[in-house]
Amino acid sequence: MADGTSSGDNERNFILALDAGGTMTDAILVKPDGSFTVGKSITRKEDEARSYRDSVSDAAQSIDMTSDDVHAQCGADIYCGTGMLNTVLTGEGRRVGLIVTRGFDDISTMEGGLTYLGQTQAESLHQQLHRHTRPLVDASDVRSVSERIGGGCYQGNIHLPPGHVLIPLNENHVRDAANELLDRGVEVIGILFLYSFVNPEHEHRAKEVIEEVLKGRGQDIPVVCSADVAPVAKENPRLKSLLFQCFAAEQVRESLLEVEKEAKGFGYRGRLLTLLSYGGAVNMEYPRLYETMISGPIGGLIGAQFVAEQLEIDQLVTADMGGTSFDVGLLLDRRMGMTKTADIAGHRLALPMVEIDSVGSGAGSVVSIDQYRRLHVGPESAGAKVGICFEYDRLTVTDINVALGYVDPDYFLGGQVKLDRDRALSALESEVAKPLGLDVYNAGAGVLEIVNSEMADLLRTMVAAKGYDTHDFTLLYYGGAGPVHMWGFTAGIEFADVITMPWAAGFSAFGAACAEYMHRYDRGLRELIPNDMSQEDRVGCASRIDQAWRELEDEAREEMRKEGVNVDRVVFRYGVSARYIGQLESFDTRLESGNVKSAQDIDDLIQSFEVMYTKVYPEGARFPDAGYSVTAVHLEAVAPKPQPVLGKRELKGEKPSDSAYVGSRDVFHRDAWMQFRVFEMQELDAGNVIEGPAIIRDPMTTVVVPPNRRKELDEYRILHYR
Amino acid sequence: MALDYRGSQGGKTAAVPGHRTLRDSVEERDRTTAATGHYYGVTELTLRDSDPIKYERFYARLHSAVLAARESARFVAASPGSREMGECLWGLTTPEGDTLAVSLGFLSHTAIFPVSVRYMASKDYDVNDGIDDGDVFAVSDGLTGGVPHPGDFYTFVPIVVDEEVVGWSVGINHLMENGAPVAGSWATFSVDTFMDGFVCPPMKTGTKLRQSQWWKALWERRTRAATMNILDDKMRLAGCAMIHEATHRLIDEFGIDYYKRAIREVIEESRRMIVDNIKQTTVPGTYTGCAFRLVKYKGLQNIWSHADKNTLIHVRGSVEPGQEGLSLDTEGSSKWGYHSYNATPGGTDCAVFLGMINSFGHNTKVTAGIDLAIERNYPSGSIYNPDNEYTSNANLWAQTIAINSVGFNAVNRAMFSRGYLEEVFSVDGNWGAFQGAGTTEDGTSYGFTNFEWLGGTGRGAYCYKDGEPLIWAAWSQIATIGDAEEFESTVPPLFYLGRKLLKGYCGHGKYRGGVGNSAVHWIVQPGKHVALTRPNGGLSCTTAVGVGMSGGYPAPSSFMISARGTNMSEIIAEGGETPRDARELLEMVDDGRLKVENLEIWKTDCPELAFDENDLFVDAAGASGGWGDPLEREPSAVIEDLNEGWVTSYDFVKNLHGVVATQNKEGEWQLDESSTVALREEMRNKRRQESVSVFDWWSNEREKVLKKDFVPEVNQMYAESLSFDKFDREFRDFWQVPEDLVFENEEE
Repeated sequence: MADGTSSGDNERNFILALDAGGTMTDAILVKPDGSFTVGKSITRKEDEARSYRDSVSDAAQSIDMTSDDVHAQCGADIYCGTGMLNTVLTGEGRRVGLIVTRGFDDISTMEGGLTYLGQTQAESLHQQLHRHTRPLVDASDVRSVSERIGGGCYQGNIHLPPGHVLIPLNENHVRDAANELLDRGVEVIGILFLYSFVNPEHEHRAKEVIEEVLKGRGQDIPVVCSADVAPVAKENPRLKSLLFQCFAAEQVRESLLEVEKEAKGFGYRGRLLTLLSYGGAVNMEYPRLYETMISGPIGGLIGAQFVAEQLEIDQLVTADMGGTSFDVGLLLDRRMGMTKTADIAGHRLALPMVEIDSVGSGAGSVVSIDQYRRLHVGPESAGAKVGICFEYDRLTVTDINVALGYVDPDYFLGGQVKLDRDRALSALESEVAKPLGLDVYNAGAGVLEIVNSEMADLLRTMVAAKGYDTHDFTLLYYGGAGPVHMWGFTAGIEFADVITMPWAAGFSAFGAACAEYMHRYDRGLRELIPNDMSQEDRVGCASRIDQAWRELEDEAREEMRKEGVNVDRVVFRYGVSARYIGQLESFDTRLESGNVKSAQDIDDLIQSFEVMYTKVYPEGARFPDAGYSVTAVHLEAVAPKPQPVLGKRELKGEKPSDSAYVGSRDVFHRDAWMQFRVFEMQELDAGNVIEGPAIIRDPMTTVVVPPNRRKELDEYRILHYR
Repeated sequence: MALDYRGSQGGKTAAVPGHRTLRDSVEERDRTTAATGHYYGVTELTLRDSDPIKYERFYARLHSAVLAARESARFVAASPGSREMGECLWGLTTPEGDTLAVSLGFLSHTAIFPVSVRYMASKDYDVNDGIDDGDVFAVSDGLTGGVPHPGDFYTFVPIVVDEEVVGWSVGINHLMENGAPVAGSWATFSVDTFMDGFVCPPMKTGTKLRQSQWWKALWERRTRAATMNILDDKMRLAGCAMIHEATHRLIDEFGIDYYKRAIREVIEESRRMIVDNIKQTTVPGTYTGCAFRLVKYKGLQNIWSHADKNTLIHVRGSVEPGQEGLSLDTEGSSKWGYHSYNATPGGTDCAVFLGMINSFGHNTKVTAGIDLAIERNYPSGSIYNPDNEYTSNANLWAQTIAINSVGFNAVNRAMFSRGYLEEVFSVDGNWGAFQGAGTTEDGTSYGFTNFEWLGGTGRGAYCYKDGEPLIWAAWSQIATIGDAEEFESTVPPLFYLGRKLLKGYCGHGKYRGGVGNSAVHWIVQPGKHVALTRPNGGLSCTTAVGVGMSGGYPAPSSFMISARGTNMSEIIAEGGETPRDARELLEMVDDGRLKVENLEIWKTDCPELAFDENDLFVDAAGASGGWGDPLEREPSAVIEDLNEGWVTSYDFVKNLHGVVATQNKEGEWQLDESSTVALREEMRNKRRQESVSVFDWWSNEREKVLKKDFVPEVNQMYAESLSFDKFDREFRDFWQVPEDLVFENEEE
């Protein structure tokens, strides 16, 4: 029987996973034997269903199947779009009306003064570069209403308790605000009150009042409470979560349901899934859909974790270069790093997220020279229009790769799309070479050098910021443009190994296929556990923590049931956020059991916290004398879902078969023309070695092997850069 | 874990007679640098030039260690400022305390590293009783540690190899409570160092990367926020331990000889880059600026009769970019006094490096190179270098930010002259904060500081665009104001009723500065006692730091309002509207909606204010200055300001910008173009009519100088500033007054 995570049918043992990037939509079709087929199509932001259809068809054709065949045999279908991120970046989301606690009217403009997100240390040092991010709500669409709830104090129970109502909600203010906002034409209303994560009563009542107003006006628009979207402390990131949900999520949900309709039209019987920013998969009924904001890059990390397990790599850094950005992630001891807040497109959200850092230089990034003759790359991107060599009107990084010979204009998407090299060259000449007074090819090489070095800096910094050195890390690169630029962004950095896959262009989609079906729930608490706490009080504390988990389990079952999941098969993972009393930061502590009932259980919980804490900090940073505080419980609910396998091949000789050799072409590499031999990716066997200068072409990407370096294919056909 | 103490593989420095002492290292550093003009005599960057990849890899490892320390350790903190607002920093130094690498944070604090280490060297700490690998030292003293105010606390951990100190890992953060008579982290109204609170010269407080138990007792008994301070102390040590371990690993990998040479090259390399940046981006010359601070102690210091007076502090600085870097001269500034605004050379460096690193160091390795490229003169006896070792440094930072603002604006003028228009803007150092202590009904005592408005200010106008609100802080590269939900949780009876931008609160001009911020705090169930002071961390009394540029107006200063004895309970019971910011509170008082028995507006230091149920405390800070003549502002920009609410009074902007507008029935302002042209012409004519020639102005003012026709505070200020020869010459040359014109110094 089909459920919300899969078709529920053991005979349906294909896995389909798609990653819709800003430029290309990649499809990975995982066959029952664990082998993969990759399909690709141009991403059409205005019609994601069509991109889905084209990409799946492309994958199906390569194994002589039809889209109907694939869907009929599909056990799980995961789709990761960038619709939400694009909505935020382009500012083309819903018109939001925001109602906040009186006195916090400017909160969306102030955004906590966070004006340096995403900057390097050098940039943030030069404060002229600090910028506010474009708000997701117009300042004139913000209203404040009288109400105040207190949150308690860090010293403990010495003053008013957490959640105490200081000023009652003024419902007339709420009605007036709602009417004013609706008169102004807002399409969704968000509510953010202080400390609603402790006591959501005012937010929920305000929502009811607004819904009464809506009913009275005969209107029906979403009303969203911050306590339902991100029930955690700190109003600024909570606001950003609320705004993302309001501005982008509901709108994107509709387009995702269209994609699901497309899949069902082909005969798929399950629910379409997408990825959460912290690694799990959910279907499109998931209420907090903004948590899928950056599902594409997460897929890559999940795939990297899969590869790391297979190849027994402990420390791994990922580099994903697509059309719009270059994303770097880390696996430390094969575990994904997590952050409690997510920095996305200049916003900091209250959202647990797999730790990924980005720079805005992708293959589609626009290249320009300003009036001061300074070169700029990005952040604007041509997206699916590729560049001036295809359907875009400005010079992009891909144009330069085409002009210099790295990318074959006649073999883009395996020749489905013909690129115009002459137009690319001409634009490079007029837009870059002439303003800088350079020869056109050297100008192109200079641009690539800058793009590559920016990416290299990010790789170095990301590893260094964790206190590690790149020598200890294997670099796994992917994305359509990753293999084209690898030679550049790894130059001057020493890694333990540098690897990629034949299906690098679709790696994020492959990773999505590896994801668990999982929800995460967080519930804020204010449980203080001083050292002199009585046994009786400890039992009381245990009871409240335990109760919170039970409630979250019920919530998880209810949500998953609505998503069509067989809840009998759901398993739970438990954790708490804890700290020493007085600390501001809480530390996630995973627990073996979700049953905390006795005083001893509290002691065990504290012991788990201490073990976790001393893994991160030296002994001198412990402060058990202060006592402990549990500030949140969290729960991961996991439902079973089909998984792919990675198959081994028999090792062949180093020399590729004659059929792999396609020919040769001239490439302007660094500062001179040289001849690169060209090989066909799909003709290469495990054990083959490709000496540079060479290009390994594939319909989805181009692997550039520079002079004096080579690529070796291991038994998984993973390519190692030597 | 990996960060546990590795054992004394370094060996205690005192163990070997005749070993190279810290004093030896400092003397060699100074001698070789002075003799060659290059750091430590490094004239050739041989390691970098022979194997640049290895050299960069070495530095990347150093840098990564300190970056990583901050990203992990700050989460141990208890204070919001340290965890989120950038009010912390970690670094790695040479044996002499010269900076090699720093983390994100308030990085100009690198300036104090050598002060503390040199003090320890001069007092032979490594000889008696020796320094061991992993020892822990604490510092918070201005004079011996260079600390910019006692609220900043430093942890030093030596890295010892073969009985020799080869480096120090250092962690710093700003405490929330410092145990002074005035509660909080700025000991307002201190008249000497003995009132500055819990102040430590460099002292050993732990070994083997752990603090001693007695150290915890000191926090508990000598400060009002022990838990918070202990956790912050642990945070600093955690980061230091990470850097300590990483540096030992680095030395193991590269070898001690490579390490010792490379750390010198790194600093010399960055010195050269900074000098190049200065030469390339400025026009040589002398750029002078000044500012004034009023210290109103008269009537508040009855116990300390020698401090019972008002003081006007002259802040004067000249910047001269040249071929070998840049020099800063503060001669002409006032002398030190019995108040809390005295600085020290180390503390002053800490502030003036802010603008210098921002302008000249951002694209280099951030090291002691800035110290070598910027020559400073802080005359002995002046407020920046007192010749009295017991001066209070409690508000040192406020005073030194004043000289940083003067210097930063001077640098901006030098860069503007060279044509770097997009680089320069009107700089202010206009912050605010409040602090205090209380006792809840159950007898629990606590101390606190809320310095949210140190977490972000408006940025002044550029020569081609308006400044923006809440976008930077001169003193931290990664400032944020944090969250109200966190600050509120640190002070039991204080609750926010507003946290807003204060519209119209900026310096105006052709381009206006970014507006400042305002918060309203409401006192609920104050318990047995709660009282606040405003530490005047902001330059509320400094009338002209943000002088505005090219005819623009300076930023309005920070201020606060105490409203005691209110009808808040009635307002809330009736479902009325509560005040959201400083302007609204004053408007509500004016129109009678808010009744206040005791309303006070504080533009200077305020004494301790006790609050009762339903009292209100309001502050405003973070405004920034304008650029250019207000009459040149594009009329459409004025209309936009009115319609978007960035200014709040039409009459004000009409009189300021000469813009005439009308409101349509929807309330939108629309430009009356012809009337605007006419009004501007009228205003320009009036200016011409009211103006006098420079000579006439000079002659009239000179008469006042000759008659010493000033209030006592100004006369005293001149007496102090003229005691320095250079300013005395400048003053007499400009006013052409005789040598026998003397301003009597009442202090002597």
